[in-house]
Amino acid sequence: MTTVPILKIEDLRTYFYSRSKQAFIRSVDGVSLEIAKGETLGVVGESGSGKTITALSILGLISARPGVISGRIGFQSDRIQKNLLQDLGDFVNLTARDGKIMEVTKDVAGWERNAERIMSQVRGKEIAMTFQNPKSSFSPFTSVGKQITEAIRLHTPKKTELEVKECAITWLDRVKIDSPRLRFDNYPYGLSGGMCQRAMIAMALASEPSFLIADEPTTGLDATIQSKIVDLLMELKSELGITAMLISHDISVISRLSDRVAVMYGGTVFEYGPAKDILSTGFESKHPYTSALLASIPSTKNIKEKGYLQVIEGDVLDTINIPEGCRFYGRCNRVTESIRERCARHEPDLRETESGHKMRCWLYFD
Amino acid sequence: MKQYLQMPGEISEFSELPFWKKADAVDLVYVGYGLLIVALVVVSYILGCFNLLPHDPQEIDLQLMMAAPGTAGRLLGTDFMGRDMLSRLIVGIQAYFLPGLLAILIALCLGTGLGVLAGYRGEKFETGITYFTNLVDSFPRLVLILLVIAAFKPDIYYIMLVVGLTNVPVVASLIKGKIQFLKQKNFIEADIALGLPTRIIILKHILWHHCRSLLIIQATLGMAEAILMETSLSYLGFGVQEPTPSWGNMVQAGANYFMQGKFWPSTAPALAILFTILGFHLLGDGLNHILEGKRSA
Amino acid sequence: MPKTILEVIDLKKHFIHRRGLLSSFKEHRQSIPAVDGASFYLKENETLGLVGESGCGKTTIGRTILRLEKPTSGKIIFEGKDITNIATGELGQLRSQMQMIFQDLDAALNPKMHVRDILSEAITVHHRISDAEVDRRIGDLLEQVKLKRSKLSSFPHELSGGEKRRVGVARVLSVGAKFIVADEPTSALDVSIQAQVVNLLRDLQKQLGLSYLFISHDLRVVELISHKVAVMYLGKIVEMGLSDRIANKPGHPYTHILWSSLVEKQSRETGQKAKSIQVGRWGVFDFERPTAGCRFAPRCPVYDSKGRPTLCIDPVTEPQLRDIGEAHQVACHFPL
Repeated sequence: MTTVPILKIEDLRTYFYSRSKQAFIRSVDGVSLEIAKGETLGVVGESGSGKTITALSILGLISARPGVISGRIGFQSDRIQKNLLQDLGDFVNLTARDGKIMEVTKDVAGWERNAERIMSQVRGKEIAMTFQNPKSSFSPFTSVGKQITEAIRLHTPKKTELEVKECAITWLDRVKIDSPRLRFDNYPYGLSGGMCQRAMIAMALASEPSFLIADEPTTGLDATIQSKIVDLLMELKSELGITAMLISHDISVISRLSDRVAVMYGGTVFEYGPAKDILSTGFESKHPYTSALLASIPSTKNIKEKGYLQVIEGDVLDTINIPEGCRFYGRCNRVTESIRERCARHEPDLRETESGHKMRCWLYFD
Repeated sequence: MKQYLQMPGEISEFSELPFWKKADAVDLVYVGYGLLIVALVVVSYILGCFNLLPHDPQEIDLQLMMAAPGTAGRLLGTDFMGRDMLSRLIVGIQAYFLPGLLAILIALCLGTGLGVLAGYRGEKFETGITYFTNLVDSFPRLVLILLVIAAFKPDIYYIMLVVGLTNVPVVASLIKGKIQFLKQKNFIEADIALGLPTRIIILKHILWHHCRSLLIIQATLGMAEAILMETSLSYLGFGVQEPTPSWGNMVQAGANYFMQGKFWPSTAPALAILFTILGFHLLGDGLNHILEGKRSA
Repeated sequence: MPKTILEVIDLKKHFIHRRGLLSSFKEHRQSIPAVDGASFYLKENETLGLVGESGCGKTTIGRTILRLEKPTSGKIIFEGKDITNIATGELGQLRSQMQMIFQDLDAALNPKMHVRDILSEAITVHHRISDAEVDRRIGDLLEQVKLKRSKLSSFPHELSGGEKRRVGVARVLSVGAKFIVADEPTSALDVSIQAQVVNLLRDLQKQLGLSYLFISHDLRVVELISHKVAVMYLGKIVEMGLSDRIANKPGHPYTHILWSSLVEKQSRETGQKAKSIQVGRWGVFDFERPTAGCRFAPRCPVYDSKGRPTLCIDPVTEPQLRDIGEAHQVACHFPL
């Protein structure tokens, strides 16, 4: 990629402190990602993988303590260019023991002030986000239309009441909500889940951001509605050329919409590369986690033979107890004797194994 | 600057801290103080029952009128008739202890019964009971009490009966609310589906596991209210009559001497009232926060 | 010849829509027909999958069969006994034979009880057993659901999603269930854990001869695990048949739309779009003013393409389930 990436995350770490266990929940533990202009990056992962927290960290929406503690998020759009975590080091002090961060001292209030200064220009205007649970992400007290117009007024130069309202209605129509003029005055409880999701997409895009983050846009919706939302996003992608980060645990949704994919597990990125390679069944060099994940979804073959599903033994990694070595070691079924020692003791770093394809796995490093 | 430290080594598998580590220091202080007061009240009540008092509460000694604390072995001094203050205070507890328990018992038993009926059976029961409790709630309590006093006699037990009854709506709606909350979580349905008998569902799953903290807190608040009610009425002359000591009538009697500059006879019982009611309230508040995670308004 | 363990005949469950203070006492009330005449049978060791969108009544059917709701009309015959109207007290022992796995992972787990208490309570519901025997049974259960012994002293909120699901299954097995209504057993779980639970349920069916009513909106899992599938739309079963026929040669337009919206079938992978029907602007079914006749008509592309024939919306000729061969039934005047 020769173009400058719109978003470049380097070694992001977001930790939370559990008082009852007196230990850190390492939700995002060294994540590095890049998104180029016009590209859609799909982020796949199960619960605890840290994908939503990554998105919230980008937008500075983490309120639990200590929150973001290290990393760099370079953001470059047509209008601005900055490091969203500028001066983070001035507010945070880390102490590590045996390579693991064991002590964090953070000036929480100071960082919040600093972050607000940086992010107030960015949130909504440059980077917009749609959330899971569309119904509860809208305020229940105001009509949907009013909430969209509020966003438009804040983030675009449009000012007059009429202009703003027309803009909102145009967007509602663009996301295929029927009778947009009537729906404008609906309250969130009056809209179905699918419609609320569309309205939220409208609200995000109406502010004309450079970058959209969509967190689980299809989860919780009925099957028929899910495919309609995916269709909508595909259309918007080709019409508007938006740059997007799409987070989902639904691999079929990701495969339809993404150009590149990052597979996350236990707070880190395991694999990163072109979607058509990583998510297809043919491609050979896949991370063991990725291939196991794909294999556990009932395939046409499984269903025809009524066979058993291939299972990943054990439980998803709980990000408090991070083991030595590779995070997937206990559950991996492709460990060979020659690398067993390394898998158990040393965590592999994220390395480029083929052009444009990065992996975190000892199997592919020799 | 906030510091977060993780100790090296094993991380506990369980997330339950013992409650003294989980709770705010403030709440622990509240609860500690409250428990102290409760202990003092109970001990004093027992002493009073068996007449194990430092001096005779009715013994008049005109030589020692309004003595300061510590004089001639009277730890808390004497009142305006030379009677030992400490003994009178201890006996004063008799005036509200059992009646208070009566009030609590009525409120909790009836309240729980109605609450369970309304919450568990729902439908008609809920509508009916809600109307009934709203009705009871709208009655001014003091008016009811005065009515009872006028109609019958100024017996503290009758009065506490009224206090208990008027507290039934609060308990009932708390219990009902808790049950409706549990219903939403599919608890009760899962238990029925499993085949658990109704009495076990109600007694064990609902009341014991989920309501006991609620009921304990209501008990403490109920007692605080009972004390306030009894002392106020006795102060006004409707409750316990002289010469039987009640903190309320002690304050009343000593009030005459207040203007003469003799503060102690009315201040001592007033302070007793203050610290005791405060103790029960703080106990309730602290427990509320620790056990239920809420701060009362 | 495996015997029929459950037969449901024209089951209806209407909910009364409360309006106003005295509605419980008034005669005239709005009713919502959540389940409006469902009939099917289930044999031993068989799984019937039940699919449909949210609000179609699939959970209500499950709960009504287990008598958690009182049926408005129809018959439920379980193990030869008509249980439609018997008093809940009399259900007694029979209740332990038919159990439910709830969609909500926390439903059956009292947050204040240890896993050990939860299981021993379930074991001792119907029998008084010695402590040693209880211990032994708990051990067996843990093995069956593949749960680690160390989890016995945990509270529910310390368990992961998959573990909670397993405890729920163990609880249901411990009373001796033969017929289990599984309401969205995999929805709230991660993909890799879903596979574990699905495999577990199949193993248990093999080992213990269980029958399942498998309610889910995950069509692939339903296809995999079920012998027969019933498709519900707004309270009515619109199609029923063997699972691969339903998935590959559906008769009802709604079934076809459901299966073709499986995003995978249109993925860049296969490169071709499945034969998809264009669904027009969506009308919404309003329970307050139900349309007459076929409930799917407002959204049905076939209805549209045939020029909106009155046959479909005339209440007299409302489509009923008709046999179209090979144990396949469709409620449609123009099956595909």
